[in-house]
Amino acid sequence: MNKIFNINSALTIFIKDFRSELRTRYALNALIMFVITTLAIILFAVANETPSIEISAGILWIVIFFSAMSGMARTFVSEEERGTVMTLHLIAKPSTVFFGKLLFNLILLFLMNIFTVVLYLILIPSFIIKSYDIFLLTIFLGTIGLSAASTIIAAIIAKSNTKGTLYPVLSFPILLPLLMIVIKSTKSALEGIEIAKAMGDFQVMIAYFVVITAVSYLLFDYVWKD
Amino acid sequence: MEFLNQNSLYIVLIITVICWFGIFGYLLSLDKKIKKLEEKINKE
Amino acid sequence: MVFKIILGIGLTLVIIAGIALPMVSNPSSFFELPVVPGLEDKARIIFFHVPTAWVCVIAFITSLIYGIQYLRTKEILYDIKSVTAAGLGFLFCILATVTGAIWSKFTWGAFWNWDPRQTSIFVLLLIYGAYFALRSSIEVEEKRASLSAVYSIIAGLTVPFFIFIIPRIVSSLHPDPIINPQGKIHMNPTMLVIFLSSLTGFTAVYYWMFNLRVRFSKLLYQQQMKEQE
Repeated sequence: MNKIFNINSALTIFIKDFRSELRTRYALNALIMFVITTLAIILFAVANETPSIEISAGILWIVIFFSAMSGMARTFVSEEERGTVMTLHLIAKPSTVFFGKLLFNLILLFLMNIFTVVLYLILIPSFIIKSYDIFLLTIFLGTIGLSAASTIIAAIIAKSNTKGTLYPVLSFPILLPLLMIVIKSTKSALEGIEIAKAMGDFQVMIAYFVVITAVSYLLFDYVWKD
Repeated sequence: MEFLNQNSLYIVLIITVICWFGIFGYLLSLDKKIKKLEEKINKE
Repeated sequence: MVFKIILGIGLTLVIIAGIALPMVSNPSSFFELPVVPGLEDKARIIFFHVPTAWVCVIAFITSLIYGIQYLRTKEILYDIKSVTAAGLGFLFCILATVTGAIWSKFTWGAFWNWDPRQTSIFVLLLIYGAYFALRSSIEVEEKRASLSAVYSIIAGLTVPFFIFIIPRIVSSLHPDPIINPQGKIHMNPTMLVIFLSSLTGFTAVYYWMFNLRVRFSKLLYQQQMKEQE
């Protein structure tokens, strides 16, 4: 079977998703409200306390993890519900569909993370970043890793009966190594460590992204085809 | 009794051995049952 | 049948030897175990806890391999084998977690303290749990088989990451695993003999259980096929 994937078709699928998102604004609205509500709860809970570095780094990634879970869940479910799966089967190769969806999730997650981080920086005064280079790289690499893993799990979830509830359950064990390393490196960004010392963490994150994407690319055929 | 009180390790030993015999016997009986079933189904 | 008798007697001997052999500071004969400083009688867990964890990992790998086999051949038998291995792995995983937690209560003072070993077995439990949750939510047989195989492959690939990541975050109090970081086995010969025979015995019990369940599921599957006809 010819598996060469076509970058133009992948882009077309991305643009199609992007347009339909702009029209319905399902994911965007839900995500923004989700981030705001979670942050509000945290602010009420924290009240006048100053959370320690560990806690504030952890909370940031908890917010990101759960909003990603609520936003990405519909990546493939929406296609099933609208009955457009067959059309996609006809017009594109599985790998093309996968990369188109991955690209869309990536952009969506990037927008969401920028929004979350900016809000977090404004609302939580004790969250002071000392080394911006580490922090930005962590957010960037964390986002691409998160979107790679959540795309393939979203594809699996779309074929099951209990679509939404199972998503975080299935994703958590897969995302746990990434979350652990990302929280650790956020902590070192808050402590103001030199970037050279955090290089090992970044290598792990890049390796995670590459491994998950490669495996998803190989296995997506089995998930996508009935 | 006093011997067992002083050497509680032996109580652990006795319980563990009983458990193991139970599991072993259960597996043996399962094995026999499945063999019978297999023969019965293959005959049909 | 011979193998079963050997297994039955062998594991009984392992249990008796592992629990009852006296621990002395200078073992002179073959029937004496050395004292492990700081652990004393608590060190005897190595003969039972480590083989359980070992079987748990073996079962995970078997399930993964049969999952890949299923994806390649689409033979439902491989899926049956894959689930069976996963189910037994889950059972042994729970046993290893519980024995480990009880041991940790008496050695470290708490049932659970997120030692790296505990974290990794927790992740394994989570993966097994998610695997079965996924399976129970899909009704069509082929779909269930291929999706769960895909999931277990992805989950299996994330496991090596923990080996790199966890040591960067916390250090472990867990006694050296079977082979210590220098790559050497450091056990007294008596201990080593008991330990290795326990490992073999546990693996044999696992294989036996696996075999029984696969045979039973096969019969069940045949019966279902007949009823449908």
